[in-house]
This record gives sequence, C-alpha cells and structure tokens, in this order.
Amino acid sequence: MANFATDGQICIERSLRISVFDYIEDISSDFDIPETCLWIKNNKFTKVCLQFPDDLLSISTNIYEEIKKRVDVDLYILGDTSYASCCVDSTAAMHVQANAVVHYGHTCFTKTNIPVYIVLPKKKIDVGKIVETIHKNLKMDNNTNQRCLFYGAEFEHGREALIKMWFQYYPKCYVGVIENEDTKDKVLGRLVKDVSGNVLPVDVLQDCICVYVGLRGQTLFNFTTSVAAKAWFLVDTLTHTLTHSAETTWFKRRHFLVEKCKDANVVGILVCQLSGNQTKDIITRMKQLCQINGKKSYIVSVGKPNVSKLANFPEIDIYVMIACPENDLYDNRDFYKPIVYPYELDVALNCNRQQYFTTHIPDYDQILPGRRYYCDIDHIKEVTDVSLITGKIRETCIPNDRDSGLDVEVKHNWALENIGQTLKARTWQGLEQKFGETEALKAVEGRKGIPLQYSNEPQ
Amino acid sequence: MVNFTVDEIRTMMDKKRNIRNMSVIAHVDHGKSTLTDSLVSKAGIIAGARAGETRFTDTRKDEQDRCITIKSTAISMFFELEEKDLVFITNPDQREKNEKGFLINLIDSPGHVDFSSEVTAALRVTDGALVVVDCVSGVCVQTETVLRQAIAERIKPILFMNKMDRALLELQLESEELYQTFQRIVENVNVIIATYSDDSGPMGEVRVDPSKGSVGFGSGLHGWAFTLKQFSEMYADKFKIDLVKLMNRLWGENFFNAKTKKWAKQKDAENKRSFCMYVLDPIYKVFDAIMNFKKDEIESLLKKIGVTLKHEDSDKDGKALLKVVMRSWLPAGEALLQMIAIHLPSPVVAQKYRMEMLYEGPLDDEAAIGIKSCDPEAPLMMYVSKMVPTSDKGRFYAFGRVFSGKVVTGQKARIMGPNFQPGKKEDLYEKTIQRTILMMGRYVEAIEDVPSGNICGLVGVDQFLVKTGTITTFKNAHNMKVMKFSVSPVVRVAVEPKNPADLPKLVEGLKRLAKSDPMVQCINEESGEHIVAGAGELHLEICLKDLEEDHACIPIKKSDPVVSYRETVSEESDQMCLSKSPNKHNRLFMKAQPMPDGLPEDIDEGRVNPRDDFKTRARYLSEKYEYDLTEARKIWCFGPEGTGPNILVDCSKGVQYLNEIKDSVVAGFQWAAKEGVMAEENLRGVRFNIYDVTLHTDAIHRGGGQIIPTTRRCLYACLLTAQPRIMEPVYLCEIQCPEVAVGGIYGVLNRRRGHVFEESQVAGTPMFVVKAYLPVNESFGFTADLRSNTGGQAFPQCVFDHWQVLPGDPCESGSKPFAVVQETRKRKGLKEGLPDLNQYLDKL
Repeated sequence: MANFATDGQICIERSLRISVFDYIEDISSDFDIPETCLWIKNNKFTKVCLQFPDDLLSISTNIYEEIKKRVDVDLYILGDTSYASCCVDSTAAMHVQANAVVHYGHTCFTKTNIPVYIVLPKKKIDVGKIVETIHKNLKMDNNTNQRCLFYGAEFEHGREALIKMWFQYYPKCYVGVIENEDTKDKVLGRLVKDVSGNVLPVDVLQDCICVYVGLRGQTLFNFTTSVAAKAWFLVDTLTHTLTHSAETTWFKRRHFLVEKCKDANVVGILVCQLSGNQTKDIITRMKQLCQINGKKSYIVSVGKPNVSKLANFPEIDIYVMIACPENDLYDNRDFYKPIVYPYELDVALNCNRQQYFTTHIPDYDQILPGRRYYCDIDHIKEVTDVSLITGKIRETCIPNDRDSGLDVEVKHNWALENIGQTLKARTWQGLEQKFGETEALKAVEGRKGIPLQYSNEPQ
Repeated sequence: MVNFTVDEIRTMMDKKRNIRNMSVIAHVDHGKSTLTDSLVSKAGIIAGARAGETRFTDTRKDEQDRCITIKSTAISMFFELEEKDLVFITNPDQREKNEKGFLINLIDSPGHVDFSSEVTAALRVTDGALVVVDCVSGVCVQTETVLRQAIAERIKPILFMNKMDRALLELQLESEELYQTFQRIVENVNVIIATYSDDSGPMGEVRVDPSKGSVGFGSGLHGWAFTLKQFSEMYADKFKIDLVKLMNRLWGENFFNAKTKKWAKQKDAENKRSFCMYVLDPIYKVFDAIMNFKKDEIESLLKKIGVTLKHEDSDKDGKALLKVVMRSWLPAGEALLQMIAIHLPSPVVAQKYRMEMLYEGPLDDEAAIGIKSCDPEAPLMMYVSKMVPTSDKGRFYAFGRVFSGKVVTGQKARIMGPNFQPGKKEDLYEKTIQRTILMMGRYVEAIEDVPSGNICGLVGVDQFLVKTGTITTFKNAHNMKVMKFSVSPVVRVAVEPKNPADLPKLVEGLKRLAKSDPMVQCINEESGEHIVAGAGELHLEICLKDLEEDHACIPIKKSDPVVSYRETVSEESDQMCLSKSPNKHNRLFMKAQPMPDGLPEDIDEGRVNPRDDFKTRARYLSEKYEYDLTEARKIWCFGPEGTGPNILVDCSKGVQYLNEIKDSVVAGFQWAAKEGVMAEENLRGVRFNIYDVTLHTDAIHRGGGQIIPTTRRCLYACLLTAQPRIMEPVYLCEIQCPEVAVGGIYGVLNRRRGHVFEESQVAGTPMFVVKAYLPVNESFGFTADLRSNTGGQAFPQCVFDHWQVLPGDPCESGSKPFAVVQETRKRKGLKEGLPDLNQYLDKL
C-alpha cells in the first residue's frame, strides 16, 4: 500500500528498492511467463495490460519482451496506478480497451470486472523451519483445539511443500489456500481446506488457533481483525519467531467511530476505487443507508485522498471510504474528519445489524446483497438515543405527533437544515462590495517569484 | 402523618399562595434527613400508614445502609396554621384568604460535597431553603457552598441550629457560651448571605434573624425544636408584652435584672442575658433534672412546662425520658412548619423576583409574564431539573417544577433540551405527556393535572431529554436557564465489561447512568474508551455501583481513577512560528503566550465570553489584564467548543483576504484547542496571536483544505516553542478534626503533595479546621489514609477548586509531567514519545 500515501511529499521523496531484484535469475519462472502466455492464448485475448507496482517498473520491459516473444498480442504496461497498486486498475485498462490484465506484485484479491491473471511475487521460504517453529512454540494442549495455517501470497510458490509439511505435523487441521476463482466461502482470497482438499466454511475457524506465515503488515492485520478465531499468531519468515497478534485497542477506536457515524449529519462517500460493478453497488447502498436515517450524503471523488483535499469540505462530518481494504488511511488521525469503512457505516445506520462487532469486515464486497455478510435494512428504529460523544440527544428521523398545533414541523430535511445553519454561521459569505465601507487604496506592487521563495522574502 | 387523597392534594395545589416549595440544605452529617423525618412524621402526606420509618427520604438501600443521602427526594406535607399565627403572615401573596392549610413540598438533598449537583437541582425547583447547621461544628465549607448557590438562585434561606442535645450533653456548654455559639453561627451565615446579596435587592431582606423567628434551634434526632416565637408565646401573657416586641427582647444584647425587673442593654453583675434566662435556662433545667435523675425536680418542672407524660412513658428515665419530655414540650414539627409557612415565600411571591433569573427569553413575552405571575391559565412553562429512575428499566420520570400554566396528562407540549435555540429545531420535540404524577418519597401517585407553583413528575418525556429541559406549550418560548453546578466532574475511570460480548449492555447502561445523575458524565473517548467522570471518589463509587447493579446489570472492570489534564504554555513562543500550507502558497505566522492569571477563570465563569459585545469585552480585558485595546477587539474566537478558556487574536495589520480564511483558521484553532500537541488533552489559558498571513491570490488555493490543517500545525508549533506545561486539577480540601489529630493530617497531606493554607480552631469547640489544596490525582484513597493516620478522627471534604501547573517540563524525560504525558498518550493509543517540532514548523 506504499503508494497510497496521504502526503504527496512522501511520494516524491520515496526511494524505490530496485536492488532487491538482483537475485532474479530467471524472469520466465519468477514471473510465470509461460503460464501467463498460456492463459492469454487459451482465452484468445488480443489486448492485454501488464500492471506493475512502482518497485517492479524497472523490469517491466523485460517481462514485456518475454511475453511478446511467445505470444502475438498487443501489450500495454500500466504504471502509477490511480489508487493502489494492489488493486487491478480496470479503468486504465479500459482506456486502451484491453481484454485482460496481468497483475504483478502485491495483490489484495479484490474482485474486478475484467479478466485478471495474477502473478504473485515470490519470496524465499524455509518450510521445514517454519513448521518446526510452530510445532515448538504452539503446544497442542488437547485434541479439540484446531489449527489453521495461512500464508502470505508471496509464498504461494512454496505452497505444496508447506501444506505437505503442515499436514504431516497436524493431519486433522486446516490450511487456507489462495484461490483465484470467485466462490462463496472465500475469505480475503483464501479458501479453508482440510487434508483431503475439502472446502470448509469460514465458521470452522472460530474454534481454531490460526497461524499466519509471512511478515507483519496490513495483510496479517486484516486477517486478525476480520477472521474470527480463537487466536492469531504470526510466524515471521525472516526471524522464525512466533508472536501473538491481537488488535483490541484498534477495535475500541473503531467502535468509537461507529458512534461518530451515528452523530454525523452529513456523510461524505469517498470513492477511491473505480474498478468493478460492486463499487456502484456499494455507493448506492451507502446512499440508501444515509437517506433512511435522515442524513445527507455527498459523493466525493478526489483521486488519492489527502488531508488538505478532504479538509476542503468542512461541512462533512464523516467520510466513508470505498477503497481496497489493504490501505492505511482508515487509521490515519491527521484528517480533519475521520474516515470509516463501509461496513462500519452499515453497522452504525442499519439497526438490523448487531452493534459492536468483534470481527471486522474490511472488504465491502461482503456486505452487498447476496454476499455472506449482507444484512437487510427494512426499517429504522424510531427511538431517541443519547450520544456518549456529544452528550446530546441524538436526532434520528423522529416523526412528531401528527396534526401538531404548536408549529413543530416534521424534521424531514433535518440534515439539510443543519448544513444551512452551519453555512449561515460562517463569517465569510462570499465577495461583498461594501461600497463606501472600504477605503480606496492605490495599487501597490505585489509579490514576485515562486511560492518556494518569493523575491521579497529573506533568503 | 396526614392522610390525604389525591383529590384533596389537588385542591391544595390550586391555592398557590399557600404553597411552600423548599429544600433542606446543609453540610454532610449536620442532620438534614433526620430533621426531615421529624417534619414528615408530623405532617407528611401519605397514602396509607407508613409512619415510623426512619430516614423516610432516603429511598435507596445504600442510602439507608450508609446513612448518607445520595439522591434528593421530594416529599409533600400538609400543615394548618392556627389563627393566632396567621397574623404573622402580612404579605397578601403569602396566604389565600380563609385558608389555614399549607401545602409544603420539601426536598431533602444530600450534604456530601460529591453530590452537590443534586442540591443544585433541588434548589432550582424550590423557593426557600432550610439551612441546617450543626451547632457543634458550626458553618462548614459545604454549608457555605450550598448557601451561596441558594442565594445566587434567589432562594430565601431560614436557619436551623441542629444537634443542641450534643452541645448540652457532650460539650456541656454553659448557657452564655451556647448563646455565643449561636450568635456566631447566625453571624457567619449572615456574612455569607450579605456577600452574595443585599437587603435592597429584589428579594427584600434575606438575612436570618432569631428575633424575627427565622432561626430555629433544637435537635432533629430527639425531635424537638423551637424558635423565639414559641418561647415568647409562653411569656407574652405573663409579661403583658406584645409578642413581637418580646421576641426582639429575647435575642441579642438584652439583659434582664430579675430583682429590679428592669431591662438593660449592657451586661452588669446583677442582670442576665434574656436569651439565657428565658430560653436556655428552662431547657438546661430540664436536661439537668432528667439526666441527673432528680425525680422530684422533674415532676415540678414538667408541671411548669405543661407536659404530662403518657402512661407508657412514665417508667423511662435518662436520655429516653429526656427525648419524650422535650418532644412533647417543644415539638419539632410544629416549630419548623411554622417557620416554613411564615418565613419562606410562596411561589407567587418568589416567582416575581426569580423569573428574570430563570428565563432566557425576553422578559415581557407570554411565558415570562406567566412565570412572573405564577398564572395557572398562562401557557405552560415547566423546568425539568432531574430524572428519577422508574421501576421500568431504562425509563425515567422527569422531575421538575411547573412555573406557569398547567401540565396535564395527555397534553401535547414542546420539549426543549438545553441546546434548543428559538427558531431552530435542534433539541426540540413535540410530544404528548403520557402521565403526570406526584412524587412522594418512595411512592408515586397519578394525578390529572398540576398547576403552576407545584412540583411534579412526568412520564413519557424522558426519551427526549438527557438530564434537564424545558416543557412548554408556548410556541415562541425560550429555554429556562440551565443550572450551574458548583462542582466539576474531574475524577474519571475507564470502564469495560468483564465479558467483551457485554459491550452493548454497558453502553446502554452508560446512557441510562448519564440520565439518572445530574452531574455524572459518560464519555466515549476518541480512543474508544468509555469514561465515567464524577465529582469525587464517593460520587464515582456510587455511580459505578448503580451502573453495575441497576443500569447495565453486568460485571464491570474499571480502571484506576484518572484525572483529565490540561495543556498550557508558560512563556511566549521563543520564535515566530511559520507553517506553510500543503501547496506552499499560504503562510501563517503566529505565536502563543500564556494568559494572565485569572483570565481563564473569568472565561470559565462567563465573565468574559464569546457572546459579549466585543467593545465591552475589549475594555474589560484592557482594564483588568492590560491587553492592548485594538488587539482585544480582534479576538477571533474562544476554544475549544467555541467557549473554552483559550483565545485566538488577530494581531496582523492590513492582510489581504484575511476575513476569507477566518472560518478555516477558527476551525483549525478549535481542533488544536480540543486536542493539544502534547497528549491530545484540552488546552487551557493559551492565547494565540496571528501576526502575519501570506495568502495565494486565487481563492481556490486558499480554501479550507489548505488552511485548516496548516493552522493546526502552526498552533502546535506555537505551543512547542512556548515552554509547554501540563495542568492538573486541584481540590480545596477542608478537614475537621480534634487538635491531637492535626499532626497526622499534615503528614498525610505532605505525602500527597498537598499544602495547607489555613488552620483554625472552630470557636467555642475543641475542633480544628484545616484547609488545604490537594491535587486531585493524589486524592485517591485520601479519606481512608487520613482516617487511619488520625485514628478515624479526621473527616475531609474535597471540592474541585482550580487548575494548577504541574511543575516541570513535559519535554524533559524523567520529569513528572513527562510521565503524565507518556501515560496519557499510551492510554489514548497515541504514539509514545514527544511531538517533533520539525513536523509542525516550516522554514521560509
């Protein structure tokens, strides 16, 4: 998620790791060139985009040439992805009317509306040592305690060996394997399987101790917060140590933000992902939620969001960001108004949903109709509530008693009215001529130079 | 006890001149509830016979167990004044013609300082206050606090000297000494009254005067009491002097020579103070005879004072007999009820001068006039002062006073919360009042309607109010003024359920707790922690117990008490702080400086506030704090929340487009003032000056997005360069103890960073009073510590007093403030370490 930074400065000053690829000996095997070509041929694609993250751009041409050598197809290289390089940039692909995208580098496995071939990065893994670390540190206290192994996408190439070794030690346990096909039981791009390859529903993990093989980062974080399990452990592939992973303070903060959603009058729907039909669906869903609860919503699309862009809309009380779950903006405290996940807004405004989640759903896809965590909104509870944040009575859509003689109208447009009041409270209402009130002055010489250093400023 | 039907009570409610709404206020343990019991047993209106229960107004089990009042409770009483006493009521608005009965609505309030918010709520709905003072310990800190509050609310006080039995039996005071004690207490009380009001004010004469009968003496525990009126009545016929004249003679510097039968103004060898001679001596004699078992004397005395013992009492002796004799001779109920009926104002009288203090709107609109004339036909105006839990979990009775009009079951009314502003719809609901009820101690009775001047409860409005509010039928009505509390919620604990799955129940419970107590704050913090904040340890303890047992009904984990801190600065910024906007086109040049002493408090108290006329405010600031007049006129805003004790001042000259970015700068200031740079605590006492601003010429490049975050960064830089400091809350702590224990107190205080600033003996008693400042942070377990170090003889009362800078530099690791900052950051889930100036400060 490196290039999804909040400050432009970071993007400019970031140094890219190029030397990492010194070890690449065989491009063809490291980047699955034969498989890629086979896929292109089999599907008879004519225009294909190759999408690279920044740190792989340096070898993008080599890969391009390798493929070009093997199949006769129009190839385009996509760099500098609009939002996040882990997501497939189908919009950019559509610009050249491509049939398919080949995605390189770190991926978040989000669904798109264009055929994608994912080429996973490959990192070295010492399977024996890993499983041994788990075995040594995680004692089986009794047989009922199940285990499940997950691994980072960069170790997919060593999957066979890892799974074999794992089932040798723990024949009755499970493993989460990466699956490209779109099925119902998929969690964050993985399917839970047992030793004989049967797919199991995610719910079995509730009694499991889960182990993630890889490095500490956003992926592990997403697993820890969104997959309900007895406990999560990380096996670090570099140091071969086992650590417990829990995010209780994070959940507390998220619960606070859910409360904040309930207090908000104006919600900004921040669109940071364009690929996929589900983006449209989730926007509709968010709008519907706001409308039912009498909140005003605006769709905000500002490209990559940053602090100054979002602070341009001070009337918006909270943002709900529609983006790939693997990004760090949700937890950034520098924003003038907080940013929440679509799931959190759903929890806040959909009273059919259980309040105060203990497992999170970072992937908004899952809360859409027909998906695993969909929850219908059929009514809203017409009760008042005290906000523990503001200490005030929370305004929901409360219909006042009918035929009121005392001139309290129904608060239909409560949110709108509120915006009106905030705007009225502004001291600067726009340009006013103020004839006769302002002194006429002679023109004076203004600043010269560029903002970095105006000519009248001391060196 | 009086057996009344609801209909009979309802009839009384219409006779508004014969209503007395009063509260009983005092320092803790001065005997309010016991005294109230003696009133209730005499005149309490009760459906059914529940006489004889003690601490009638303590409705909760823990109140009965601990013998401490926690919640204020209302009780109605009925009392008929005799014809001869009616003449004492001269004001025609104090009595309906041809009506001898009085309806007295009494609210018994807690005395412990932690619960003073309950007192505030009680005072709001009453017009008079019975101030109870233990004549052994005299006027204490809480007596003063509540009395001051009463005067500020325009509540008329009367005084009762309680625990006379102790003065006689334990301290064995001579009669002259006792007189001096009384005299001193009366003086002390009048000094407090005079400080906060004057006799020429709208309330008329407020001071209490024994010779007028507005001071009572007696013992609540033993059930006897008197005013000078009682004794004068005994002697008036004998002396053939007018009752009123005699009352004057019986107090003060009046001496009587029994031989020459001459009155004198000076003491000499032959004469004796009239009060001692005619009032105290008979009482002393009775005490002496009974306590020393002088059988013969008792009989003759009893005959003299006209007491005949009932058969079952004739075997008693000692204290038990004393109680019976005194009770039948000088029944407490009679004396007190007379005092109340004669000296406390009726709603008709009181609302005339209280209206302008109560109503926020124009003083001549329908609502104002309705309140002023206490007119039951005017539009309804009712103030809800607190919420009382019902047996139905999560629902509350809204308890309050009808000031104008009538509140009727089934009536439609506007419910306006404290944030309601006329013409806007925030905090405004229109609902049907489901039921109107009478609240009497532990019991409620449904009633059809309640007219102005009375106190009642409502069912069905609790959902629309958090703690308080105004109920009206007048569509242009403004709010009734919100109550001002004398204590602040400075002690906080974080709570969480023992079982994480119970979180929804906890949150629901917190919401109920927030309603049920006038003062407690239940806050969901940025970090997601749930905080309960109360006035003191005891208050918190009770709140958490309620939360666990009544509101949430789940086991709760609570953190150690924590205090909230404030961030401030100690010097002016050592450099001009510049921050550039993200696009580098806009520059802000600012500095921070500490406010002069007293200004933050002035802002807290509202003496300097954002709604003032800027010219008046500027004049005040320049006169009192020597602020530059032109600068003081350009205060852009107060913060946090637009009202807090920090200001942003425009000190720039001739900056183009400056007015356009004002809103954005203000937004950034509010943000920074709410979450300071050190530990995201509120700022306090910081003045920020804007010296220069460079702006891009195109409006689009100097929008909120560029300015708001930049202002915050610049303000943070200002704070970091101005020697930031941390402030902690400090209690004023008053400890009463015998002389031997004083040493122990000093030891405990020294260990806890407390410092004593006053130590004095309570005149006429062996008790000492030590006054000290004690950091709230060090006060946890203070009471217990003090008790164990003084053999249980010292009893502290702590009330939040002020904010004080925690000595030391929070940027210097190892210092106390540094530890505080790190601890707070950790608790809030912030990055540990210190904020980096370079992150906020830019270079040209």
